[in-house]
Amino acid sequence: MKKVFGIAGLLFAVVVFTAVMSGQPDGSNTFLSAYNLENLAQRIGMFGILSVAAAFVIVTGGIDLSIGSVVCVAGCLLPWLLRDLGWSPFLALPAVLLLSAAIGLWHGLLVVGLRLQPFVVTLCGLLLYRGLMREFTKDQIMGFGDTAEGLRFLATGRVPVTDAFGIPVTAIALLVVAALTALLWNKTVAGRHLFATGRNEEAARFSGVATGRLTVLAYVACSLLAGFAGVLFVLYVNSAQASSAGSFYELYAIAGAVLGGVALRGGEGTVIGVLLGAALMQVLANAINLLGDSNRLEFAVVGAVILAGAAADEGVRRLFSRRR
Amino acid sequence: MTAPEAAAAATAVLLSARGIGKAFVGVQALQDVSLELRAGEVLALIGENGAGKSTLMKILAGVHQPDAGNLHLDGQPIALPTPAAALAAGIALIHQELNLCDNLTVAGALFLGRELRRGPFLRQRAMDQAAVTALARVGLRVEPRRLVGSLAPGQKQLLEIARALHGQARVLIMDEPTSSLTPGETERLFAVVRELRAQGVGIVYITHRMAEVQALADRVVVLRDGRLVAEIDGREATPERMVAMMVGRQLRGDRRVGHAPGEPVLEVAGLRTMAWPAHGVDLRLRAGEVVGIAGLLGSGRSELLRALFGADQALAGDIVCAGTRLAAHGPAAAAAAGLVLVPEDRKLQGLVLGMNVRENLSLPTLRSRGAWLDHGYEQDLAARAIRELGIATPHQDQVAAALSGGNQQKIVLGKWLAAAPKVLLLDEPTRGVDVGARAEIYARLHELAGQGLAILFVSSELEEVLLLADRVVVMHEGRLTGELRREQMSEQAILALATGMEVA
Amino acid sequence: MKRSTILPLFLLLAGCGGDKPAAGAGAAPKLAFVTNCVAGFWTVAQAGVEAAKASTGAEVSVQMPADGLAEQQTRILEDALAKGVHGIAVSPKDPANMTELLDKIAGRAVLITHDSDAPKSKRLCYIGVDNYEAGRMCGQLVKDALPSGGAVVIIVGTLDQDNARLRRQGLIDELLDRSLDNTRFDPQDAVLKGAKYEVRATYTDQFNHAGCKNIAQDVLGRWNDVGCLVGLFEYEPPLLLEAVEEARKVGQVKLVAFDEAEQTLRGVVAGKIHGTIVQNPYEYGRQSIELLARLVREQDPARRQALLPPGGILYIPARKLQKDNVQAFWDDLKQKTGKK
Repeated sequence: MKKVFGIAGLLFAVVVFTAVMSGQPDGSNTFLSAYNLENLAQRIGMFGILSVAAAFVIVTGGIDLSIGSVVCVAGCLLPWLLRDLGWSPFLALPAVLLLSAAIGLWHGLLVVGLRLQPFVVTLCGLLLYRGLMREFTKDQIMGFGDTAEGLRFLATGRVPVTDAFGIPVTAIALLVVAALTALLWNKTVAGRHLFATGRNEEAARFSGVATGRLTVLAYVACSLLAGFAGVLFVLYVNSAQASSAGSFYELYAIAGAVLGGVALRGGEGTVIGVLLGAALMQVLANAINLLGDSNRLEFAVVGAVILAGAAADEGVRRLFSRRR
Repeated sequence: MTAPEAAAAATAVLLSARGIGKAFVGVQALQDVSLELRAGEVLALIGENGAGKSTLMKILAGVHQPDAGNLHLDGQPIALPTPAAALAAGIALIHQELNLCDNLTVAGALFLGRELRRGPFLRQRAMDQAAVTALARVGLRVEPRRLVGSLAPGQKQLLEIARALHGQARVLIMDEPTSSLTPGETERLFAVVRELRAQGVGIVYITHRMAEVQALADRVVVLRDGRLVAEIDGREATPERMVAMMVGRQLRGDRRVGHAPGEPVLEVAGLRTMAWPAHGVDLRLRAGEVVGIAGLLGSGRSELLRALFGADQALAGDIVCAGTRLAAHGPAAAAAAGLVLVPEDRKLQGLVLGMNVRENLSLPTLRSRGAWLDHGYEQDLAARAIRELGIATPHQDQVAAALSGGNQQKIVLGKWLAAAPKVLLLDEPTRGVDVGARAEIYARLHELAGQGLAILFVSSELEEVLLLADRVVVMHEGRLTGELRREQMSEQAILALATGMEVA
Repeated sequence: MKRSTILPLFLLLAGCGGDKPAAGAGAAPKLAFVTNCVAGFWTVAQAGVEAAKASTGAEVSVQMPADGLAEQQTRILEDALAKGVHGIAVSPKDPANMTELLDKIAGRAVLITHDSDAPKSKRLCYIGVDNYEAGRMCGQLVKDALPSGGAVVIIVGTLDQDNARLRRQGLIDELLDRSLDNTRFDPQDAVLKGAKYEVRATYTDQFNHAGCKNIAQDVLGRWNDVGCLVGLFEYEPPLLLEAVEEARKVGQVKLVAFDEAEQTLRGVVAGKIHGTIVQNPYEYGRQSIELLARLVREQDPARRQALLPPGGILYIPARKLQKDNVQAFWDDLKQKTGKK
């Protein structure tokens, strides 16, 4: 828990700052309005799932740079299946998720079987899948027409709590994903083995842990979740263009996870930290849109805050280790 | 040496520490420690792990700053705020884990940080020539252009010493320099140490091995719980006396009474490994039997254990453990058949250092209750192992990395004992383990053998082999070259077989 | 550097060492139509090219750089020269840095630009929309949508591109009732208030579609009094509509669009988008090829000069689409692109 103090504090500070700054003369607050909180929760839902995906692989000591391209694959294929091929959503959704999982399996087998570096495998994946999708879609925008009306509830729906505020379905999806992931990581033998593998693969292997199988599993989980998020993104936007869908999302995903205390060297991380990290990224972007004269500074602010977060986190850790 | 010369040498105190104290976050690591190092002497520093040896050593080398007390060099007070300052003053620390970059050449490593240069360019040839001289001083004959990574551990050790001497070191602090050396390399190192002593270098020699103290030390200082408890003349240092001073009590150095072995539990036929692909090994182990594998480094001992356990794939061979045939198996299958390994490299292969004691102890035998991890089982297992093996840890949640070598080794042992093995393989079971924990581990192994566990261990320390084994098999270049029963065992007999000499 | 060394090599290989190539009176001119990316927009232009092919009898290859990089477009142009084409019509990706290359091409073949101009090069003619004028037309749509005035927020992919800057400036100048001057530039964070209209802010989404929708949501959350959102790039209006629909503010917040994305046209038909400005890529394709064919066939320099439009610029006017004329446009578009 100590590890998430830094990021939780930072998130709290940014939230308080934004809330204070966005108060209006008439007493209302643009940041704390039900409308804005709903939107924010919805985005955190989608990007949070991506960060959990990234965390799965980072925990094994690997990295997945292809997350954004898997989002692109899922985003381009779902409209194609529904509209151009006329598949039922009950067939199209599992097909897209299955393909995403297969991409993860392929990554895992290359990393474990051929002992290729995760960075290389997934960097090539990043280029390969987006390139293939651009060829496949001829760079055309893939729209649903009206074949996804019901399905879009997954991405744009709200479960009403009060008259003004409803919980976005994507936020619920993230909570479900996060809860399942937390259970897997903390409460199962496989989770313990996953973290042992990330900390010291050799020692885990010498303890009879099936390290290879677990690593493959992590890549499958990562791509499956990325594909699921891709489905949500395309339903959110209502269309996807291969050249831009999910572009650079791997960086948002990885930044969220790392910001939340998932160590790039592997074997460390908490689901709650990942959620906080992903939330911070979205709150920052939202704050810049709400408060700024223009959003030109978005990347600079995000970069500076992440750096500050990492430094603060390290500072907190040192403070604790000195006290011990 | 004439009497006045000897007197002058005796008074030529090179380095002295007075009243040194040091505390880390409330733990008093050193308290009022004073010692003197004279030019041309070997001062052995002994003590159990946690006694304060490494703290003292790091203070002498400028890594840590003392809270109390002061240092004098050549009679003048001196402050050593950084390792660089210590080096500049002529004090060099030779680390136990060798601090050399494998990708450099020998000359490059020797001159690292003080390269000869002309403007921005390296004077490669001049450095190569100077390297030959510097290496000759420690009796190391290798090409200056060879890569450090291709050197044997003993050669690397000598290179480190050459590096220190090349920096005009007059005080050498050596931290367990022989821990990864073969007997031959150890002999070479001893010769170099004696040579340096004759040249007037003062040497602080830290070790766990009593035999080395006897072979080298002019004086011995003993640390216990951060205090200097004894200082004795090297000639008076018997192993019994030193151990008693280190642990503060008498240890049972008892040899167990061998008992009748039971049914065969491990049968190995024609096992060939990558290390020596031409030779197969045949081996049979009975329940309750303790068998030591002796042999030189590189004789294929560790590879044999790793292949049995399935950590490496064997090239060929039959392995049957307690009725289960193991072929192309991994560690998981071996463990399931009752065959487990306490590996050689504790930090890399034995433990997940970043995990806590409980998690390490339960790693191989974790089980689920329904879908979830069985936390109750895990806690019971850890509590039992901590109690039975006497693991000194404040609580189960302590990170394994924070424990001493001996306690870490007990965790590795404990995690496999929880799997109720039939055959226990150990590779260097007490490397880097202090004498107290060592005795406890031996006692536990005796006890387990008495309960019918078959134990097969590899050790480079003959004392250990003689103490533990009912039977010794000796490996030489991938083959088992001989077998000695308990009554036939002696250091000479083992060494003869290990070096390939035929014995009658 | 690279271009200047590679280009002569290609020319040598192609074996055309002579002066400007000219097709013999009877032979079919070989022409190339080069776009700046792959897009639906260019599919329409291709239809125009096909129509011109039939009327002029020219051989035309249509080339679209798939990865949308200036590098790749350069390669396509060099290859076209190597194949010995007589005329090239190109939409230069990076006009400021391509002058040298374009001038070399102009020395070997007849060169015109379309869609996006390179005024500093030796191209003979530019065929395309006047983006500043299009921006002003867009402003007229906004005025029509908000007859009693109000605050407007602009969303655009980036302000690096010339067409984006000009469209935005035209829009601002129209709303603030300024004179016609396409050299003005108001910085992104300037305060822009006119008699009736206020341009509250300009946001860039860097072509990130989900990001565009997020920005629209944040704008709606930030200001209650914004009367109109304008999306200047093809993919943006559908996303703005998404955000406005989800906020249940259709009608309350007006939408004005650019280009003819399917969801944009649907929105106009349904009355949810007040109107959109469309270019005429079909005419880019048809007029470019027709002009090139005439230029290539004409050997005499003076008479060739006479074929060019005044000032070397042929504006194909943009059009305003609203509820009354959108269906006709859409049907025509479907027919030209061969979609039902």
